[in-house]
Amino acid sequence: MKKEDIVEQLATGQMSRRKFNQSLMALGATMVMMPVGSRSAFAASDDHPTVFTWEGWDVPELHQSYLAKHGESPNMAIFGDEEEAFAKMRAGFKVDLTQPCTYKVPIWKDAGILEPIDTSRLSNWGDLIPSLKTIPGTFEGDKQYFIPTDWGLTSVLYRADLAPEYVGNESWGMLWDPKYKGRLSMADSLIDGVMVAAIYIGAKDPFNMTDEEMAKTRAALKEQLPLMRYYWSSPADIEQALASGELVATSAWNSSYAALKKEGFDVRYSSPKEGAMTWVCGFCLMSDHDPAKLDRIYDYLDAYASVESGVFALTEYGYGHGNLKAFAKVEQDQPGLLKELGYSVNVNETLDAGIFQAPMGNEPALQAMFEEVKAGM
Amino acid sequence: MPGEASSPGIMLLAYHLPNRLLGLSKQNLSLMSRTAMSLQSFGSTIRRRFLESEALRGFGLLSPTLLAMVFGLAMPLLILFTLSFWLQDYVDFIKTFSWKNYSDFFAKPIYGMILIKSIKISGVVTLATVLLAYPMAYFIAFRVQKNKLVWLILITVPFWTSYLLRVFAWKVMLGYNGVVNSGLKSIGLISEPLEFLLYNPFAVTITLAHAWAAFAILPIYVSLEKIDRSLLEAARDLGENAFMSFVRVTLPLSMPGVIAASLLVFIPTVGDYVTPSLVGGPSGIMIGNIIQSMFGKAFNWPLGAAISVMSMLTVTAMICLFLWGTHRFRRKIA
Repeated sequence: MKKEDIVEQLATGQMSRRKFNQSLMALGATMVMMPVGSRSAFAASDDHPTVFTWEGWDVPELHQSYLAKHGESPNMAIFGDEEEAFAKMRAGFKVDLTQPCTYKVPIWKDAGILEPIDTSRLSNWGDLIPSLKTIPGTFEGDKQYFIPTDWGLTSVLYRADLAPEYVGNESWGMLWDPKYKGRLSMADSLIDGVMVAAIYIGAKDPFNMTDEEMAKTRAALKEQLPLMRYYWSSPADIEQALASGELVATSAWNSSYAALKKEGFDVRYSSPKEGAMTWVCGFCLMSDHDPAKLDRIYDYLDAYASVESGVFALTEYGYGHGNLKAFAKVEQDQPGLLKELGYSVNVNETLDAGIFQAPMGNEPALQAMFEEVKAGM
Repeated sequence: MPGEASSPGIMLLAYHLPNRLLGLSKQNLSLMSRTAMSLQSFGSTIRRRFLESEALRGFGLLSPTLLAMVFGLAMPLLILFTLSFWLQDYVDFIKTFSWKNYSDFFAKPIYGMILIKSIKISGVVTLATVLLAYPMAYFIAFRVQKNKLVWLILITVPFWTSYLLRVFAWKVMLGYNGVVNSGLKSIGLISEPLEFLLYNPFAVTITLAHAWAAFAILPIYVSLEKIDRSLLEAARDLGENAFMSFVRVTLPLSMPGVIAASLLVFIPTVGDYVTPSLVGGPSGIMIGNIIQSMFGKAFNWPLGAAISVMSMLTVTAMICLFLWGTHRFRRKIA
């Protein structure tokens, strides 16, 4: 039966009930037989845990062994930053695993939403970089609340063709250069924004500033405000703006550098003389997780912590991975790539050179200060 | 739980209200539940009462809307109001009554300043939207003879896309390599892209004025359409020129539409946070962004609630002022 016939018969009332039902059945059968791949996009089945994470870390390439074992990806929910995630979970959103960064783990632990993770159930635990396992606030005695799976840098990303004078003379001060007024940007965040200003003014401990250092940071942010095009909240913003030349320099994560480099832009990911910031993110087990899904939760964690995931994160995103063996594997398969991405072949060197992001003291005051500066006060 | 404070009162109300309405006492109820016979009569009593009482029938008809209003609007508002008198302590709420959030609101100049800025931006947006919408509505109401519906639908076509998409469209228009900049560059008017187009209050104003245009055109159109054409003819017969007959007849008669349009644009735009966060840049932030940050990044829900309440009160005051002003204006020109 042709399509036109169906419409005409329906319109003129000629189609018999039986024929109509037949068409409906055919439609239903087609729907059921539609490729499984497109259906799994709607929702994984109820037996899978829900993982609350950043965009880009939800891809199947980062949990291949889970996919191989269970046939489907777990349920993925995406947050823009940890504050949003926290607000959603406090409002009743139930998830099993989250992927915050270390500086948020203590406050989440204090809020009573985290549960210790049994690391003996993870076959890849032994391969994770030891110094990342002992970041203050992420463990309590022998109770591990955090599985460090991802890390990277926050540093200045700039167009070397537009600002050639900075090659070999890199510093955070690039984001305060009046020469590029209106073509600079910084993250709209405390940890990747205000802390940059704290490092710039030379605060002794940027994460626990004295009142005097706070005042200096505020002054630096105020000085910087008229130079800013905007404060960015999504890497896509700065990647497009750097590509078009709207921005000359901005604070950024490794992935933006990797993405622009791949497109062939003359960008540099700087090593500021004051030191780049190092962030570490990873998994936390929520205390209200579904106990029936615990096996799968550990399967997921193990899959994410594997060498394969690490290789993918490094080569595709330019992000560091918790699994030490991933670095050796990348160096072996693609010699020189690590250096190009800004990592030493001896990973600990890179980790030691950076300033580790830590929980910020007096966060509400910092936030209020930042809001006021942004409002022009 | 923010809802806890209000729940006992609601429970009490829910228990007493049906009995009151039906005129039944507790004893009556328990007596009737004893036997099936009385159950039956209970049913018929309800039926009879329901048919007799006009108020009850009215409530019955209203109940879906009423429930939606109570649970969707009144309750959240009550929760917000309660929340604004609590305090945030690290990750917990201190659930004792306190004016601190409100005193903070007045003590720190930032909130008042941004609220005033938001009202200014929304005021300009409202003015621009109504001024631009009026000629369009006028044209459809008076000049278009055939297919008015098609014209109205054409006006709403841009609003079939999502709000976010329209904001992004303006980002593309005003952007560094956007339509405006590359257009001006190609005809040689500028050599470097203009940077003042995007990421400031100007961009927010343009985007909002465009995004809310349909909400202004439609009410103005309706009120213009309703005007009795013979009144206009009479004005002309009595010697008024075209302009004066517009000022003294058309404009006052279309004021209800203008007022509705102004309110429909002004109220939602004051609290808008998507537009300023996408095209506003640091200088274009509005009170909605501050509230959003209080509920998100800054994690101070009670203060956010207090700012919301203050912003609502200010908007209400502004509207009262506006209505009073337009009322006087109408009496003056009529």
